[in-house]
Amino acid sequence: MRNTGRGTQGRWLHAGTVAGSLVLGAIVWEVTGRLTSGAFWAPLSATLASLRDLAASGALARYAGSSLELYATGLALGIVVGAPFGLLLARLAWLRVALEDYIMMLYATPMVALIPFILSMLGFGFTPKVLIVFLFTVFPVLYNTVEGARSIKPELVEVAQSFRSREWQLWRDVMIPFTLPFTMTGVRQAIARGLVGMVAAEFFLSPSGLGQMIMLGSQNFDTAGMLAAILVIVVLGVLLMELGRYIERRFAVWRGPDE
Amino acid sequence: MSEARAIPAPEIAAATGWRASPLAMKGIAGVVLLVLWEAVVRAFAPAYVARPTGVATVFVKVLADPQFRAAAAATLWSVAQGLGISLVAGTALGLLMGRVSLVERGVRYYVFSLFATPMVAILPLATLWFGYNADARLAVVVFASFFSITINAADGARSVPGEYLEVARAFRARSVATLFDVVLPASLPYLFAGVRLAAGRALVGAVVAEFFISIPGLGYYILFNSRTFKHNEAFVAVIVLVAAGVGFDVLVNRLAQRYLPWARRA
Repeated sequence: MRNTGRGTQGRWLHAGTVAGSLVLGAIVWEVTGRLTSGAFWAPLSATLASLRDLAASGALARYAGSSLELYATGLALGIVVGAPFGLLLARLAWLRVALEDYIMMLYATPMVALIPFILSMLGFGFTPKVLIVFLFTVFPVLYNTVEGARSIKPELVEVAQSFRSREWQLWRDVMIPFTLPFTMTGVRQAIARGLVGMVAAEFFLSPSGLGQMIMLGSQNFDTAGMLAAILVIVVLGVLLMELGRYIERRFAVWRGPDE
Repeated sequence: MSEARAIPAPEIAAATGWRASPLAMKGIAGVVLLVLWEAVVRAFAPAYVARPTGVATVFVKVLADPQFRAAAAATLWSVAQGLGISLVAGTALGLLMGRVSLVERGVRYYVFSLFATPMVAILPLATLWFGYNADARLAVVVFASFFSITINAADGARSVPGEYLEVARAFRARSVATLFDVVLPASLPYLFAGVRLAAGRALVGAVVAEFFISIPGLGYYILFNSRTFKHNEAFVAVIVLVAAGVGFDVLVNRLAQRYLPWARRA
């Protein structure tokens, strides 16, 4: 999109500078890694070697698999609970009015602050970790769905009812199309917040997954191993953010022109 | 269409007695939620778990506790400092990214990937570099807030209408003057949005840093008290965190409405 109206030469120049900056970054990483003490920073080559070893031994797949299981379970629960409840509030205006301020408050609550409570009440198992990811993800979905619900014009519902829409037709033709794009904005936010929740759960409850991989690296003074684990999370974060953006854009076309 | 049909839905609701006003409904819902919380905790949870009456009992005592005040001050001061650093540095980098395409292409992948990185993941690295102290917390706060400000400043600088820049050029404005008098004011609405986002992230950053580093602050206060089964006390700190977050949000919105009338619809 950014490249439209530019010639082939411009595109090459663009790609060239981007590639140049990435190569430069890699060189800076490598050189600073060699110049500084191994306790603080490790060269890119050592980080990649460590990553290769982790991948070859199967440890990376094991850690990542455990993380993704936690992440996917929590995120799925957050969406499955948040979206239908938000939709229900779209239909029941009085309930929405009653609850929306509290939903906003919970949306604004830094959920990390609740982790110690969950830890001391529920302990270390898989369930409390899922609960953490769920808490991180459910409120963005719910809050944005309710925002969407507010955007439905009462006239639309009235017209539908005047034309004797059945309840399920009203949902299919008015409620869901109008709120879903907002829900998807919530899903995008939930995708990002859930990742924070996942790593936080793995750090502060029992160590597991990619969080444990980072911790192990730092505890064993294996800086390259730690950086390798962080690099995996960075890449995961970028991929998930792109996925979230894609989902949001995919549904954004449903939004009315007067938004 | 009958007369009743033309009345908007809320007013129909208003006609039906107890749903007299939205405010009353919100109040009733609040009471119901608190009673539910209280009842569930009393029925199913151990005695130490936080519940509304418990929190209310200790609320004033905790707020008066000098140790708690010191913790709150430490966390909020760290967040303020970190936000200040991010605001200056992030705005500078963001405006450059938005106006100079070489800078944009040079750093965008780094800025975007670090923005997408959960700040929790860099905690061990921050402690390696800065030690287990307040500097590490500040570093995490800056990391948490810097990139959202940068990205929004860049979006804002990019969105400056071309006509504004043409006028500036026509009046032979120097590039510094253009930057400060045209580009910066025009990108302020975006910048404000970035600061609001950054403030929330900064608070989270400070709290996780305190969990990890165990230095005095609201996060550590929560951790310590929930470990010693004083959940009611710990929950007061959560309330203060939420109040700080929401309060800052309201403040930024007020400032934007007051001083940025052109920011109505960003």
